[in-house]
Amino acid sequence: MNIKRIIAISHKEWREIVRDRFFLALAFVVPSTMLLVFGYGLILDVENIPFCVVDYDKTPTSRDYIYRFIGSRYFNFRGTVEHEELLRPLFEASKIRFALIIPEHFERDLRAGRSVTVQSLIDGVFPFRAATSKGYVLAMNRDFNGEILADYFSKKFGIPLDRAFELAQPVRIQLRYLYNQELRSTWSIASAMIMFVLMVSPPFLTAMGVVREKESGSIYNIYCSTVTRGEFIVGKLVPYVFISVLNSLILWAWTKFLFGAPFKGDPVFFFFASVVYVICTTGIGLLVSLMVRTQVAAMMVTIVLTVVPSVLYSGLFIPISSMEPIGQFQSHLFPAMYFTDIVLGSFLKGVGIKHLWDRVVALALYAGLLWVISFMLFSKRPRS
Amino acid sequence: MGFTLWWIRLWSLTVKELLQFSRDGFLIIAITYMFTLDIWLSGNIHIELHRASMIFKDADQSEFSRELISRFRSPYFRMEGEVFSENEAVSLLDRGEAILLIDIPEHFQQDLLSRRSVDVQLMIDGSNTIIGTLTSTYGSQIIGEYSLDIGLDLLRFHLDRLEAIPRVELRPRVWYNPNQEDERFLPISELLTVITICGLMLPAAAAVREKERGTIEQLLVSPLTPAQIMIPKVFSMTLVVLIGTMVSVFGVIKGIFVIPIKGSLIFFFSTVVLYTIAVSGMGLFISTFTKNLAQVAMLVLVVAMPVVLLSGAWTPPEAMPLWLRRAIHLSPLYYFIEMSYGILLRGAGFEVLWLHFLGLFLLGSGAFIFGAYRFRRQFG
Repeated sequence: MNIKRIIAISHKEWREIVRDRFFLALAFVVPSTMLLVFGYGLILDVENIPFCVVDYDKTPTSRDYIYRFIGSRYFNFRGTVEHEELLRPLFEASKIRFALIIPEHFERDLRAGRSVTVQSLIDGVFPFRAATSKGYVLAMNRDFNGEILADYFSKKFGIPLDRAFELAQPVRIQLRYLYNQELRSTWSIASAMIMFVLMVSPPFLTAMGVVREKESGSIYNIYCSTVTRGEFIVGKLVPYVFISVLNSLILWAWTKFLFGAPFKGDPVFFFFASVVYVICTTGIGLLVSLMVRTQVAAMMVTIVLTVVPSVLYSGLFIPISSMEPIGQFQSHLFPAMYFTDIVLGSFLKGVGIKHLWDRVVALALYAGLLWVISFMLFSKRPRS
Repeated sequence: MGFTLWWIRLWSLTVKELLQFSRDGFLIIAITYMFTLDIWLSGNIHIELHRASMIFKDADQSEFSRELISRFRSPYFRMEGEVFSENEAVSLLDRGEAILLIDIPEHFQQDLLSRRSVDVQLMIDGSNTIIGTLTSTYGSQIIGEYSLDIGLDLLRFHLDRLEAIPRVELRPRVWYNPNQEDERFLPISELLTVITICGLMLPAAAAVREKERGTIEQLLVSPLTPAQIMIPKVFSMTLVVLIGTMVSVFGVIKGIFVIPIKGSLIFFFSTVVLYTIAVSGMGLFISTFTKNLAQVAMLVLVVAMPVVLLSGAWTPPEAMPLWLRRAIHLSPLYYFIEMSYGILLRGAGFEVLWLHFLGLFLLGSGAFIFGAYRFRRQFG
């Protein structure tokens, strides 16, 4: 390894980047845009679920039952329809996501002490939303049941209503959210997006690096020079790592100051971990660049290798522990998972090197492995 | 005569594009992967509460407390073990080894038996909002049910044995995706995203590649009009996307996941063609601003992100703020997703979806004509 040659290669690469002004601008615009678009646009709070009601009973009790849903901030009332047949087109046009069907004799049966069955229909196209809406609906119904039960007890035993309510619902729930007391989704999305953006954008920057030279033929300058394989790979990587580290600082600032996510961890540790992660992801781009022969292929292979794993196998939406063994195995193969733990740990949880050192080691090993594979793939005497 | 010649030129250039595509091995592997394995993998992912790891702290150690804890079970929860102090619990949550703690106070059973109400605490990892929401929804549901049951049980001997208790039974039925199986939803949404990415990137790349390599000069001196250069690029890549979609629908979605397709597949494939042409227009438009593929790749990322996000694939329109809900009509993917779910999962036909079809058509032809206009201008 000759430092001078590495600097020369990096310098040449840097010049090339800087002279393509548009590309240089995009290199900084793209990551920030991604963070802002997702931070503001990805809304995971399930609220204002549009719904319709079919009320075959039309009594004060049935209206009381329905009003619970109308008054809730989780639901958005879109009117009543006369018959359940009329619901289907509304679901099909996505006008409503949920419907309640109150049977005839709702009030009469309840007064007579009989159980009544209420139907509810939920649009299952968004499974996460369907599951959450189902939870809300059941909770509403549970509260209503608690009240009629309390009402029943108070009449039966002649006790005051609030005491009867305690008897009907003796176990109270206290919810406490750690790390994110109000469960603000922007905090967790913005910090998780640092992982996503730094997974996707650095490989895109780098992927064209070598293959462009292959396609245009300028790679022959390298083949016939004294530069060794290792020097070439390191020299190529340095400018891109530099850009991406700058980007990681910018993203950190957006998340902390614009989205207001609390940074509770150790800044030095987080910076160090980010650098290791960026070396990893830049390395993925370089590896792609060495493998393929055309730039179009480089683009598509990069998407395959980065977007999918960082969405599905990073723990962004699904906790790793909930996955099937095959999914867990896949998750451990990609660097995204380790960095998700580091980002969430540093931003919201406030845990430091003590809990997270093994993730950094995994990332460092990953970076080393990528470098070795790149080194072996790159040959100054190509076969064709 | 001139008319047939026009078509022959169009045809030979389409063949050229397809040949060029077929000779790029890695590109074919990447695209095959996207349309097959990727779709399959996305179907094995569950955005549901599935065996969420939880721990318990039981200061009561009674029959009642054990009954409550035993209600937290598969498939939603998985008990990882017992802790004896809050510090121990927090440390497990810190390390991400558990996401939920149920904390049962002392004298839980005694208080219940003497008709006093008690508090049970759920401590939830809120760092991931989705999982936090689902955990609290299911956790509250289990405790709420337990509460009603125990309330009734404790008073049962005051009531007549056969006396009926008034109660509203709620039967939630989930339509289109009865068990909220992600394997119906995710593969389809993944397929639509793959179509978008390919539709944006491939024609844009095919267009800018000629500029970068200088082969555009050859085309310019040939007796071809800009339309004859552009249409084959769009046409050939649309064909590639259509074939990929067919492989994916018949091989993975119908073949492996056996998702019942309720609507007309011909209608769906026509929508795919219309949509691909629309995003190709956007791709060509992007390509006119760029000089090389590196720029295309970055610019596509910037354009694709809002298009995907505003489509309702991740956030349905009703959850968005009003101004975003208006902007959603500018994303062709929005119409495409509504139509695709409508056709594939709900069996909706043209009579329900014609408005979406019209929206996609207008937006698509707008994007395409504008893209074509910019593309022609570069030869000016």
